[in-house]
Amino acid sequence: MNVFHDAATHVECESIHQWKKTGKPVVGYTCSYTPAEIFHAVDILPVRLRGIETEGMEIGDTYFGPFICSFPKCILQLAGKGKFSFLDGAIITPGCDGMRRLDECWRKAGEDFKGIVPDYFYYFDVPHKAENHGMAWYLDEIRALIKSIEDHFHVNVTDEKLTAAIREFNKGRRLLGEIETLRSQDNVVVSGTDVFAATVAGTVMPREEYTRLLEDWLAELKTRIQALNTGESRVMLVGSISDEIDLFKLIEDTDKAIIVGENLCFGIRYEGNEIREDGDPIEALAQHYLGSSVCPRMYGKYKERLAMLKEKIHQSRAEGVIMQNIRFCDLHGAENALFERDLEAMGIPCLRVEREYGPHIDAGRMKLRINAFLERMDAARRQL
Amino acid sequence: MRPEMQEYNYDWLMGKTLATAARVPLGTKKETELTYRYIPYFKNIAKTLIDAGDPGIQALKMMSQYYENILTAHAQGKKIVATTFCNSPAILYAMDMVPVTFEMLTAIGSMVWKRGMFDYMDFCCEVGMPETSCSSQRGALGAVLGAVLGGLFEKIDMVICDTPGVCDTNANAFAFASEYLDKPFFQLNYPSSIGDDRSQQYHIDDYKEMIKFAEKHSGNKLDYDRLAEVLSEVDKQDAMIADLEDMLMLKPTPVPPVFNLLLYAGRFCFSGRREFTLLLESMLKITKENAAAGISGLKNGEEKLRMFMCYIDHYTVDLNFCHFLEERGIAHIGSILTRNFRDNNQYAQEMPGSSYGIDISSPDAMLDTIAQMNARLPMVRSIRGPYDKKGMWLEESLICAKMYDADCVIYNGTPGCRNTWGMVKPFARDMEKHGYPTHIMYDDAFDDRVESWEATRERLDEFFKIRGLL
Repeated sequence: MNVFHDAATHVECESIHQWKKTGKPVVGYTCSYTPAEIFHAVDILPVRLRGIETEGMEIGDTYFGPFICSFPKCILQLAGKGKFSFLDGAIITPGCDGMRRLDECWRKAGEDFKGIVPDYFYYFDVPHKAENHGMAWYLDEIRALIKSIEDHFHVNVTDEKLTAAIREFNKGRRLLGEIETLRSQDNVVVSGTDVFAATVAGTVMPREEYTRLLEDWLAELKTRIQALNTGESRVMLVGSISDEIDLFKLIEDTDKAIIVGENLCFGIRYEGNEIREDGDPIEALAQHYLGSSVCPRMYGKYKERLAMLKEKIHQSRAEGVIMQNIRFCDLHGAENALFERDLEAMGIPCLRVEREYGPHIDAGRMKLRINAFLERMDAARRQL
Repeated sequence: MRPEMQEYNYDWLMGKTLATAARVPLGTKKETELTYRYIPYFKNIAKTLIDAGDPGIQALKMMSQYYENILTAHAQGKKIVATTFCNSPAILYAMDMVPVTFEMLTAIGSMVWKRGMFDYMDFCCEVGMPETSCSSQRGALGAVLGAVLGGLFEKIDMVICDTPGVCDTNANAFAFASEYLDKPFFQLNYPSSIGDDRSQQYHIDDYKEMIKFAEKHSGNKLDYDRLAEVLSEVDKQDAMIADLEDMLMLKPTPVPPVFNLLLYAGRFCFSGRREFTLLLESMLKITKENAAAGISGLKNGEEKLRMFMCYIDHYTVDLNFCHFLEERGIAHIGSILTRNFRDNNQYAQEMPGSSYGIDISSPDAMLDTIAQMNARLPMVRSIRGPYDKKGMWLEESLICAKMYDADCVIYNGTPGCRNTWGMVKPFARDMEKHGYPTHIMYDDAFDDRVESWEATRERLDEFFKIRGLL
């Protein structure tokens, strides 16, 4: 678990540090619509880019305008400070307006801060629809990405290697699925903070090492009998992008709640479905990553996402949902409002809260709101 | 929403206000004065437009007709489509549907009403839209969502937008409207590139899907004869737009500042319809007369500064922005909304692959035409990809600034414009490197509560003074 926490709370964690010592490349990516399996297939470490450990915003604010979400600003801040010097490449994706402009802002910052832009800097154009021509576009984008990786890193991405990578990632998905099942029990033996740390770690660690550690951890979890929930409310955390363990801790440290599920970009959102291991691996990747429409960037798919969320709530037996959106993240902000409307109508208490990403400057305010919500849930339970 | 706001149907109230204003020029002086009493908040704009001569009167008639179409759509068995300004209404007219263009409704309301669209913007937030989302949709959306409060607006029948990946905030507002009102939704989606074969094909494939959606939910099959008529009208309109755009290059420019606004307002509301053709003919006539006489389109006749708006204009109460330009002797040489990127425009020649042509020789040619035309509307053409890539915002702005001989470049938008706020600082720096004094306005083009018009005006004056422009 310490390895997972180290990976989840440090931009250049020990695993990345060790990987670099072998001389093998590391490529960062910004969006969950980037198939990390491609990099793994050719011994490149895919690392999801994050903004933790940011201590200021003077670089982020210099290039981004004021009305931009703090997540891409934090990434740019770290880039400007040289915290991503371990990267040999970066993939920028139009996940949302703020994230796609990281492309220009990072490149332009590179004119002022020499050496902060990795040699390999690639714009991966993910469409906003998975229908026939959208899927065809995405398939072409994946093929172009592969070609570009092959050319730059002098590697050969074969179907066999891709299939092997898919198998390896699927192992991790199955293990995370088992952990989800484990915490859906009456007695919850693992905190939401620890599960989320393990999930985030999977986006930055070498995959074989990650799978091995996850197997060990799951085996240990299965031996636990001491329940962590002794009257706490079971809650789910959803909304804007978050890789912040502190946010989970903030909720669980109230001693009024235990997080039994989440629906977050860094969380176990993709893990519900494994990727097909037969047939054309590129098509399998495309179907998995683009086809599932889990992010509000895929407009017009709200009902699918609501159904998925209801299913997750049902499976995890969450009693309430905390919905957060980073300020200026309109996609999650608006969708949270719809979720709130529909879930509250079903009798599921919801808290909708806006916040900043990064240094928890508004932790006190968040804690107040969350405490009030949990007290409301608690009071409602007592009345039953 | 305040209870008194719920006493009036927004669409009916706005439609009747515009209809009344449009009738003002028909009356005697006494009748005119009496009529103005019935449109107290709109009086200043109505006067401004009527003083602008026939184009202003045509514009009033056009806007009045726009609301009339909405108000009578269902009685005529037509479907109402909520859509965005970057989605050409031409196809909807060809399919006998009625567009409700959110940004146009918000702009009109913001200019006409003393309190702008504040109440409707706030109502959006009451029902869940983030306050940080774009005001240009939030105003009209608030009114449209007001349908749930007992008919503040005609019920929309479907939603079509085309901004995912170009302006996510925009697309998000339409997706929200669709879910909140439980109406069918279609999104056209543009790649980050333009002009290459792959992107062109994507435009067509996506557009065909949109037509299928519209046919399914309207019950109307696309009539290609009617589409040919609409596109022929667009062709005429494009030729006149090209003439007006050419005359913006003259020094002094004979095009009055308000014509810029009317030009794109007409295109966003009535592309392919006779109403817009009449407006263009009228504007072109006056502009040509000014050009022949070698005079400026500014009222005081002296052009002191040529200003290029690299994004959008300012739309709050009483057309203050236009008055400001007139008072200072500033020629408005266009914005991102002015350019249509038809292949006969001069700036389009400088940017291969950026433009569209019109071909009505066959159904396939027409579909290709309208899909590529739609892909060249503001925003979806210029800011779909990285701003400094070939054919995108920087190149377009530099070409236009040079071709139209700009003295300065002004960025104006809304805080909700996540896409441009994500890149406008490096963009402004690049414009400055190329020698163009560039000012970023931090107001909201549709909401004076973000920054009062007086403060905005002061900041503009300060910029002009410090940079030695005025």
